[in-house]
Amino acid sequence: MIQVTEETRAGWHVVGVKGRADSEAADELEAALRAAVDGHPKVAAEFSALDYISSAGLRAVLQAARAAETRGVEFAVCSLSAPVRKVFDMSGMHHVLRIHGELPC
Amino acid sequence: MPQFRLLLNGNLKELARLTTETTRFCRQHSLGDDVEFDLHLVLEELFTNSLSHGACRGAEDIAEFQLSNDPDGVTLEYADRGAPFDPTTAPAPDLAAPLRDRPAGGLGIHLIRQIMRDFEYQRLDGWNRLRMRRPIPAEKPK
Repeated sequence: MIQVTEETRAGWHVVGVKGRADSEAADELEAALRAAVDGHPKVAAEFSALDYISSAGLRAVLQAARAAETRGVEFAVCSLSAPVRKVFDMSGMHHVLRIHGELPC
Repeated sequence: MPQFRLLLNGNLKELARLTTETTRFCRQHSLGDDVEFDLHLVLEELFTNSLSHGACRGAEDIAEFQLSNDPDGVTLEYADRGAPFDPTTAPAPDLAAPLRDRPAGGLGIHLIRQIMRDFEYQRLDGWNRLRMRRPIPAEKPK
């Protein structure tokens, strides 16, 4: 289960995601990120309160990143917790995503 | 050797039960947050693979898993009644492929292989049977 918050900071639309991005929550995560990408030129997914992610959650993030690329939207992932960072690293997400230690804004 | 076994129906809603019971096992045996996280991840990947590839969706008792731990690590045995599939020999995904070419599948099995050791597969009596270990490094007590 995830909870999503949205705010604007220094020109970035920041989507904060809290909870567990597992197979049950993946559709909700993808919808939230895609909606943000549809409506804003710079989108940051802020994952400091994300406790868990599986390949289904990663796919949701990748789908949003693809949509951003198609639309010419800047898309970044920020503030990963240590265990979530490990899953991103094992999956080679740094090859295809901009991953920041902190918010880019 | 402390053991735990759970049967799962072919429904994604079972994921919550799988997660709750795995957490209970890990905390009972003080396995630490890293081990708990890894077991959640590996079990979710195994179970969702069974649901999507094994024609198991909707049926009862389609998968079972068993956890047992000793001082050196946790042994996970997982079985499903789906079509024969050996994840130990599945090709690795191209992680460096550009975003638009990156394949949607294969990531779950890749993660399992990164985390677990001694990954073994057997097809037995209509079941895919997997066995693997999550080592617990001795120098990092939790």
